[in-house]
Amino acid sequence: MKLRANLRAWVLVLAVMHAVVACAGFFAPYDPGEQDREHPYAPPSAIHFRDGYGSLHIRPFVYPLQPVAGFSDRYREERAAPAPIRFFVTGQGYRLLGLLPCRLHLFAADGARVALLGTDGYGRDQFSRLLWGGQISLFAGLMATALALTFGLFVGATAGYWGGWTDEILMRIAELFLALPWLYLLFAIRAFLPLTVSPLGAFFLVTGVIGLVGWARPARLVRGVVLSARERDYVRAARGFGASHAYILRRHILPQTASVLLTQAAILAPQYVLAEVILSFLGLGVPEPAPSWGNLLATIQQYNVLTSYWWMMLPVLVLTPFFLGYLGLASALQGWADPSKMEAVGPGSRW
Amino acid sequence: MISGADRAMEPLLTVESLVKRYTPRGFGGGRGGVTALDGVSFSIAEGSTLAIAGASGSGKSTLALCLACLERPASGQIRLAGRELTTLTETQLRAVRPQMQLVFQDPSSSLNPRLTAFEIVTEPFAAQSRFSASERAARARALFERAGLSFQSATRTAAEFSGGQRQRLAIARALALEPRVLILDEALSGLDASVQAQVANLLLDLQEASRLTFVFITHDLAMASRMADRIAVLDRGRIAETGPMDEVLRQPAHASTRALIAATPQWKAELRQQADT
Amino acid sequence: MTRYLVRRTLHAVLLLAGVSLLTFLFTALVPGNYFDEMKMNPQISPETVAALRAKYGVDQPLAFRYVHWVGGLLHGDLGFSFAYNTPVGPLLRVRAANTLLLTSVAMLLAWGVALPLGIWSAERENGWPDHLITLATGALLIVPDLVLALGLLLVAVRSGWLPAGGMAAVGAEPTTWAALGRDYALHLLLPVTALVLSCAPMLVRHVRAAMLDVLDSSFLRAARGHGIPPRRLLYGYALRAAANPLLALFGFSIGTLLSGSLIIEVVMSWPGLGPFLLEAILGRDLYVVIGGVLLSTAFLVAGNLVADVLLYWADPRIRAERGNG
Repeated sequence: MKLRANLRAWVLVLAVMHAVVACAGFFAPYDPGEQDREHPYAPPSAIHFRDGYGSLHIRPFVYPLQPVAGFSDRYREERAAPAPIRFFVTGQGYRLLGLLPCRLHLFAADGARVALLGTDGYGRDQFSRLLWGGQISLFAGLMATALALTFGLFVGATAGYWGGWTDEILMRIAELFLALPWLYLLFAIRAFLPLTVSPLGAFFLVTGVIGLVGWARPARLVRGVVLSARERDYVRAARGFGASHAYILRRHILPQTASVLLTQAAILAPQYVLAEVILSFLGLGVPEPAPSWGNLLATIQQYNVLTSYWWMMLPVLVLTPFFLGYLGLASALQGWADPSKMEAVGPGSRW
Repeated sequence: MISGADRAMEPLLTVESLVKRYTPRGFGGGRGGVTALDGVSFSIAEGSTLAIAGASGSGKSTLALCLACLERPASGQIRLAGRELTTLTETQLRAVRPQMQLVFQDPSSSLNPRLTAFEIVTEPFAAQSRFSASERAARARALFERAGLSFQSATRTAAEFSGGQRQRLAIARALALEPRVLILDEALSGLDASVQAQVANLLLDLQEASRLTFVFITHDLAMASRMADRIAVLDRGRIAETGPMDEVLRQPAHASTRALIAATPQWKAELRQQADT
Repeated sequence: MTRYLVRRTLHAVLLLAGVSLLTFLFTALVPGNYFDEMKMNPQISPETVAALRAKYGVDQPLAFRYVHWVGGLLHGDLGFSFAYNTPVGPLLRVRAANTLLLTSVAMLLAWGVALPLGIWSAERENGWPDHLITLATGALLIVPDLVLALGLLLVAVRSGWLPAGGMAAVGAEPTTWAALGRDYALHLLLPVTALVLSCAPMLVRHVRAAMLDVLDSSFLRAARGHGIPPRRLLYGYALRAAANPLLALFGFSIGTLLSGSLIIEVVMSWPGLGPFLLEAILGRDLYVVIGGVLLSTAFLVAGNLVADVLLYWADPRIRAERGNG
């Protein structure tokens, strides 16, 4: 079925992107915290195939950078010592997926630093930081999504199944949360929590806060599904057999929420990743030295960085393919769940 | 069809002055509301069938739900084998529920389309946590047989069955807990004419084999007369008249009964014939 | 008419009350005592701290504090800013006005662009304009607000065409009204563009969807059968019928725009509520944060109320509902 194939394609795309980030240690040539104070704010390495004598090489190479005398951030290439880029090299140790100690890297330059996206003020390779930072940002976003959906499922199912006053009260509270502009709410909650936390603490904090803000919309959607499922005759029949509420929920009602939850997951995940990025960008999220996409971009707020070191903006571009992937997935999921709504809202409900 | 001697026994199911109201909920609600059942009373002897006939809106479905204890009446009594049901707690009811089961009108909504036929028929066992897996399989097989379904089709989902087969499935499911009373809420009305006859015969056979008691709720008098020997006519929440089938149909005392008769094409002609003779 | 208005207004007020309770509860649940932290701040004298403690009844039960606080709110007393050492109200007023300016202009432009484009797209469904618009909106939707804002900023900085921040030129003060207006406009351009680009694509898609829904309905086909000219059909009939979802969208878009404005104000250094709120959070200026959140919510609620009123005027079904008369 075309819809199924569509869905599979997007899942594959997203899976690949996430896999790359998950295996950051392999794809990244350097440790994200590894500083090189002699080469701060170095531009992205120029990759050459043609050497100074004009001959073509199959293996790409870079030149080591020499700081220009008198300037702290200008460099020239040292043409005398080309450093070939080798693939599948052993380098610094890292833990693959946080578990397996490993030393294999996809590529590295032999005798120079290859910084695909340049370096920051401490000489740290932005490309490596991008990959490692992705782990934190993506994971935070996904966990926050899981949190919001779980909470939303719980509240929505309770409200929809039990109805009456429970429903009224819970939905009014949800309405309250929805009435607040979400970013302001996010900031407000963040404001009342300790400012300086360890990176791990910050991670959980950010995840928790975002999840706390986002439960209302999924709750409403779940409630709708549960309400209509509850009125079905087969639920009545089940009650007629003396089935407990738990049984009915488990067997008949909750499975129907699956499609709504999946679609919401695809819609919310990128928003929540973005939320983490924004929080970290503004200094309210994951702090240095732990890399995250947000704090990777934070230095752009300084005027001189913005004007002189354009490559510091590049990490921003990484968000787009992920957004595209999730958007495609959400569209495909909506089409799969309800073919009549194929040309539906799309990414619509942003915030 | 029962004999006169059985009529003297204590009826299996007795309903007395059943009242059920629906009020809209919410803030400032209670602005009116509907009285679906306004003092309904009847009784049924074991092994017999009472047809409850009424036009749409007469309260038939509400009655079915109340009898199956899926809705609580505002007042009145329902006695099954002498035991009063309306005051029981949910936990107490759980033990009683197997004795009285409901078959709905539309099998496409009374069966979860995502479940297989096997899962559907064994659901009552799961709900009551009875029997081991092998025991359930054996019983399911027997139920399929009784309902005239091939056990081969047990792995198909409900959506893959035809209308008549689905209703047989619903009946099989209703029989799982070995009830004494089956409440058939327009159970034949949604079927094609030819399938109707088949399922009707199935029900009659089942009744004879297991001494089941039927409450046959319908708007179709022709069908009612085939299935039941006693009839109660429901009109706007009240029993308009009740009595043996042929008597009531021959001499309808109430306007609503007459209206129902008039709505049955072949009966109109036949009765006019009878009236003339 | 009045009963409907009263009901909606009451609803709005209740919503605000609920939000105020929510934000207040957040403050009350702060781990660690805010005032203790304040005591450690050398800029604030212990007398001020003690006075504030007494004023806000920190040692009193929660319910009392809430009532006291709401009472203050109703008098316009939004609390006290620790960082600026002045009451919060006047501080927020200026900032709020700036944010309002930004969001209103962006709102007008976004809808001004989205409505015609959405209608046009729906009108020529599956034609090349439709495909083009769908493509363009799709491309823009994928790009998060942050990226858009930073991108525009970079362009501005690199090209030097537009001022890259602030609300007005610093230094040489423009003298004439025209020059002042021009100066404001120039500074507005960048943040407004960013906001519009982030919000409009979604609006276009929703408008298109709503119009398509209506254009497909039987009553419209009947009207077409009666020979009503297509232009009148589109704007007189279809648009009015789509008023319900569109006005709901309008209310929703206010919230989106407000949230979006926060981050764009920060990035573009537009002196609105956004950067002020951020500063307050980083400076642990509690009452400024609460005030900012409440104010933004008030904007949102007010905007939705406006949408409700417009809906009443546009949709005769709501007028006819007997409960509303």
